[in-house]
Amino acid sequence: MSGDLMAIRDDFPILQREVNGRSLIYFDNAATTQKPKVVIDAMTDYYQSMNANVHRAVHTLAGESTEAYESCRENLRKWFSAEKVIFTSGTTEAINLAAHAWGKHNLNKGDVVLLTEMEHHSDIVPWQMLSREIGVELRYVPVAEDHTLDMELLRASMEGVKLVCFVHTSNVLGARNPVEEIVSISKKHGAKVLIDAAQAVPHSRIDFTSMNIDFLACSAHKMCGPTGIGCLLVSPGTFLEMEPFMGGGDMIETVTLEGSTYQKNEHKFEAGTPKIAEAVGWDAAINWLSKIDLQFEHERLLDMARHTANRLRAIPGMTVFGQHTDGDSAVVSFIHDKVHPEDMARLLDARGIALRTGHHCAQPLMEKLGVNGTLRASFYLYNTQEEVETMLSTIESIVERFS
Amino acid sequence: MNDTPSLEELVEEFSEIDDAMERLELLMDFADEVDELTLDEWSDDNLVRGCQSQAHIVVENREGLVHTRAAADAKIVQGLMGILSVVMNGKSPAFVLSLTPQFAIDMGILNSLTPSRSNGFRTMFDMIQSEVKEKF
Repeated sequence: MSGDLMAIRDDFPILQREVNGRSLIYFDNAATTQKPKVVIDAMTDYYQSMNANVHRAVHTLAGESTEAYESCRENLRKWFSAEKVIFTSGTTEAINLAAHAWGKHNLNKGDVVLLTEMEHHSDIVPWQMLSREIGVELRYVPVAEDHTLDMELLRASMEGVKLVCFVHTSNVLGARNPVEEIVSISKKHGAKVLIDAAQAVPHSRIDFTSMNIDFLACSAHKMCGPTGIGCLLVSPGTFLEMEPFMGGGDMIETVTLEGSTYQKNEHKFEAGTPKIAEAVGWDAAINWLSKIDLQFEHERLLDMARHTANRLRAIPGMTVFGQHTDGDSAVVSFIHDKVHPEDMARLLDARGIALRTGHHCAQPLMEKLGVNGTLRASFYLYNTQEEVETMLSTIESIVERFS
Repeated sequence: MNDTPSLEELVEEFSEIDDAMERLELLMDFADEVDELTLDEWSDDNLVRGCQSQAHIVVENREGLVHTRAAADAKIVQGLMGILSVVMNGKSPAFVLSLTPQFAIDMGILNSLTPSRSNGFRTMFDMIQSEVKEKF
């Protein structure tokens, strides 16, 4: 293990714990990443030294907490090269916000929203709800035999499309979609673009402005930040087309009994007391991540995923999904024809190894792959090759013992 | 194992095993204790909803006593069903309704009983008690 990797691991207190008498090996990073001590400390310090509600009161604590909260937004603006950063509870709420605040007011009956079969439920259900409400048509780009998006069918599906929503990087396959090509096709047809970047932001720097898209949704907790906070990035022009869908404190300018006027900035979409401690934690996570060479780590982790996929493919009865080509994220989904994924996951847990099992909130993709669920190992910055070898030899022995 | 071990004996048997994988292995042995539903009996009506594996349970009233029949594609899940069968089959409805699912934690075979997508056991347990209330 390199000195850098040891230093990274030292920043994560949870890696010291044992599960079922073994050192924890955490390979469920696509669900949520662990938190470095600086994030935990920042949130504790916020509550211990400056807790107050933001944006209103003139006292010292309120001023400090407002600064801390808005500092996160400023940090995110720089991190993502984005002008408009609306805080949400996570990727799911961000997509729901786009559907309600923009879709409901700018799409009409018969307009087409183009999705893909690879989407997380978070990028399917809000649009289904909108479809029921205002009658937009939903169209899905199929996943081809090689588990990539069928780009020919995407091109052929563009008629009448007003909004294209797709996942940047699949949470099941790790596949990075041809983002630039899809955006180019969409823009050529005059469609807006929303990208679900939940799985992309932990592994790479995203430049929202240069992507020429309209919306990008992501969560803090998949990039070392706390749960309960995420954001919707919106292009300045599209931002002006959005109407608030939640009313109340923090989003108003003036309220009379006859009516209200709203804030003009992002606060317009952040009704209620915001997620202040979470923003403080996310700010700390971004600062911590900014010291990591993400490109180097991306390649290291993808190599681990490739090695894992190859070793698993050598086990009789094992099916491994995904291509693990350059740009993909370090996610390996697999199933064995004799050992049920749930059995395998519980047996691995008995050895302290945490993997995800199930449909990964992507049931249409599971149907396409012809399975009810998979096991998924997803790697992140603090994972080591030694941990991978332990997981692989444990899987090999489980298959030998229980199949 | 005895033909009809008590719940307390089962809890003791499991909790005496230090190694978590060996506990799961013993749990899998209990899969054979299930009065198994055949594949063509699997239906939406007897599906354990929210379970990650395909799991099915029916509760029958056999001369006033509870009898469960079940099946699952995951062996550990069927093992959990086996434990429930051993504990509940041939018992009075009052006894079955007096049980709580806590024993699965005491045995060291589950770490959570919250009904959620990851935990079909709680759903199975609740489903059996609900059917007992309905059918007796």
